[in-house]
Amino acid sequence: MAYTNKMQVVYGTESLGVHGSDFSYIFSYKFGGLISLKKKGKEWLYRMPTPTFWRATTDNDRGNGFNLKAATWLGADMFTKCKEIQVTVDDHHFTELPSGPASDKFSNEETAEKVKLAFTYQVLATPKTEAKIVYEVATSGTIKVIGHYVGHADLPELPVFGIRMIMPTLATGFDYQGLSGETYPDRMAGAEKGEFHVVGLPVTRYLVPQENGMHMATEKLTITRDDTQNNADHDRTPFSLTVEQDQKPFNFSCLPYTAEELENATHIEELPPARRTVLVVAGAVRGVGGIDSWGSDVEDQYHIASDQDLEFSFLIK
Amino acid sequence: MQADIKWLDDPETFRVNQLPAHSDHCFYRNYREWQDKRSSLKQSLNGQWKFKFTKNPMERPTGFYHTNFDTNDFTQIEVPSEIEMTGFAQNNYINDRYPWEGKIYRRPAYALRPDDKQEGSFSQGKDNTVGCYLKHFDLDEKMHGLPIHLYFEGVERAMYVWLNGHFVGYAEDSFTPSEFDLTPFIKDKDNLLAVEVFKHSTASWLEDQDMFRFSGIFRNVSLLALPETHLEDLALKPLVNDDFKSGIFNATLKLTGKLAGKVRVKVQDEEGKSLLDCEYPLAKKLELKDEEFKQIHLWDNHDPYLYQLLIEIHDESGQLIELIPYQFGFRRIEIDENKVVRLNGQRLIINGVNRHEWDAKRGRAITMDDMKQDIQIFQANHINAVRTCHYSDQIPWYGMCDQAGIYMMAENNLETHGTWANADYNVPGSHQEWLAAVIDRARTNYETFKNHTAILFWSLGNESYAGEDIAQMNEFYKKHDDTRLTHYEGVCHVLELRDRISDLESRMYMPPKDVEEYLKHDPAKPFVECEYMHDMGNSDGGMGSYIELIDKYPQYLGGFIWDYIDQAILVKDKITGQEVMRYGGDFDDRLADNEFSGDGLLFADRKPKPAMQEVRYYYGLHK
Repeated sequence: MAYTNKMQVVYGTESLGVHGSDFSYIFSYKFGGLISLKKKGKEWLYRMPTPTFWRATTDNDRGNGFNLKAATWLGADMFTKCKEIQVTVDDHHFTELPSGPASDKFSNEETAEKVKLAFTYQVLATPKTEAKIVYEVATSGTIKVIGHYVGHADLPELPVFGIRMIMPTLATGFDYQGLSGETYPDRMAGAEKGEFHVVGLPVTRYLVPQENGMHMATEKLTITRDDTQNNADHDRTPFSLTVEQDQKPFNFSCLPYTAEELENATHIEELPPARRTVLVVAGAVRGVGGIDSWGSDVEDQYHIASDQDLEFSFLIK
Repeated sequence: MQADIKWLDDPETFRVNQLPAHSDHCFYRNYREWQDKRSSLKQSLNGQWKFKFTKNPMERPTGFYHTNFDTNDFTQIEVPSEIEMTGFAQNNYINDRYPWEGKIYRRPAYALRPDDKQEGSFSQGKDNTVGCYLKHFDLDEKMHGLPIHLYFEGVERAMYVWLNGHFVGYAEDSFTPSEFDLTPFIKDKDNLLAVEVFKHSTASWLEDQDMFRFSGIFRNVSLLALPETHLEDLALKPLVNDDFKSGIFNATLKLTGKLAGKVRVKVQDEEGKSLLDCEYPLAKKLELKDEEFKQIHLWDNHDPYLYQLLIEIHDESGQLIELIPYQFGFRRIEIDENKVVRLNGQRLIINGVNRHEWDAKRGRAITMDDMKQDIQIFQANHINAVRTCHYSDQIPWYGMCDQAGIYMMAENNLETHGTWANADYNVPGSHQEWLAAVIDRARTNYETFKNHTAILFWSLGNESYAGEDIAQMNEFYKKHDDTRLTHYEGVCHVLELRDRISDLESRMYMPPKDVEEYLKHDPAKPFVECEYMHDMGNSDGGMGSYIELIDKYPQYLGGFIWDYIDQAILVKDKITGQEVMRYGGDFDDRLADNEFSGDGLLFADRKPKPAMQEVRYYYGLHK
């Protein structure tokens, strides 16, 4: 490329490509999100990132009926509809999407120092509301990801609010700087701060599969894989993707299953064979509670109110 | 005397020919045997037994105890084990209801009307599975010619015993020892022991614990030979003086047999230094009174210092014929004028767990290795106390807690949850017909474990509501033991019995703000959460709100987490071939309370759940 301190921007008819020396991202207008995230030639996305609202019902959730109260979030978690896309390249904000014929005026030599795409999703809860995922790409290839939830007073409290990324193959493990063990907002006092290596993608073996594997207050996470779905890629050298905190530490879980897959199983052995990596970066995590398992709610300060906007951000490097 | 199957229906018949409960001391012929931990006065009957399972009493092979009975259709079973876990009977987990709910109409005898005997309720119960056990054995040579006792450490739930065709006795109370005298019928060789185990009897009404409902000989069985003179019972009472530096040692010895010769009583400290060494002529009862110990080393969780007691029984020629080693500590538990529980003068804080006996492959027939692991896990996570929920545990566990400094709430085998939670025919209630059975449970628990330093609290049982009978259990303990406190939660339902039941104000799962409400208003008793932090699945959030109360209110004793280990059963999955955990309802068992069986800080394979780091932290704050 001619300008090493700039990114190449490819104005497709239905997508926007952003490319650097060792990264390549494609945002799809058609599907409504980031459809390809390649680092050093390796694809990191199986499906595009979406806002996530559901956590697999814990025994305490079931006991106090939270799953019943929050049921609308299950549908909202499974199905998302993109309703609006905003594109800004450097300081130019496109009032009309540069897609279709509107993209014909560009060339293969387009560059930029920053590219920003904002996807607004209709959240298919009842009543409906909106959520946004904003991507800001810098020339280094770093993507700042912002998740935003638009509060609605008539919705039930949220089980979780985050962004879910499903990766094509199973990770061999991950490293993170944060807190030891599985932590939740109301269960993190006993955790030690440090750097931790986790082998594989362990699912905590609760008798009934449920929400598990959350890591609160994380500064940095590196996920490592050694396999792709690319039939022409026979290289098994491990490769990694790093998520870092933006302004504040983030929370995440990295499991081989979605909340829905966990929700559907009554025993660990009913879970499907582990084949993908499901990363949830969570801006708001509900506590797990523990007073009893047949009625007592999570303590007040560990609920996620639905009537206020929620926003969080992190960096993908 | 002949066995009568109607005893199963009668709450007033719960022990027939059973020997009185006594202390759990081991006895040896000499020091060598003690060092080798093998007494030639004890013969284990564990191992393979002949076995016949039937679905109910009507189908059982009556007369199977006769020596000439045709046992061609008998199979084998391992003793100890749970009949259900060996595949003969269906597993069933149910929490607070009785396992016959929706299947058999059954009410406790005398509970609805004074003349309602509920005859045939269990003796003709279609759900009352029967295990007929047979063991052929020769008596160890070294035991020939001596009086022989048969000692069951745990059998669920009612059993009849015969030896060589003769009826020996009947016992209930699944979780305490049952002992019988075999002397009249025993031979040196070719003995036939027959045990008929019923899953249900009136004892079932008293054993409605939140657990898999098993049956069978699930703990050790052994023969005990009594030497010429034998220590039958030992009651130690080590007291700590007000200076917390000196102590007074009392002991009562009950002896049987020839009673000719002398007994030597020695007490040594950990370094082997002698603190007491005296001799007495043998007598039926011997009392060591007010032996002063000028400088005592106190026992507590941080420093579980134990003294070694050695009782030697010598015959007339001076020959040692029986050696009884026992360890004990000096500690003092009391409630001060501000309603603060004090151990050795210091405020006591309970960082506790409720512990069911559980092994994923063996059910409640747990092993020494399981118990050793549990002590290690307690120590690694600052767990300093255990409630034996809701029955007496295996005997070695109490000694292990003495040695590890684990404070014990020693609970009776009693829960009658289903008689009051959604019903109003509570037993034992104030029913005279049920009184003796529950007092007997208190007595056996007390007599067996009374010498264990680790026991700070006697617990009357769990979730059995409250009436005159439980008040009398409390009185039993108070009358026999002024060195410990009593505990019972269920009295919170019957406020007028508050002064007669439980030294502690106890609740379960009371939210932190309600606990604080109680503590703020000049509490009448110290407060304990006998169950809190329900660790079902992904749980244990918000523990800090309870722990904060410890710093704010000295009357808050802390609590016992529910609970220590998941009750789940390891099976091979037919589809995947993996070894997997199964819970209630996974065995087509109905009614079942499903995954409610899994509330542990540990998974059923004893691996800690992630929440353990939280427990370790919070329990570490007041260790």
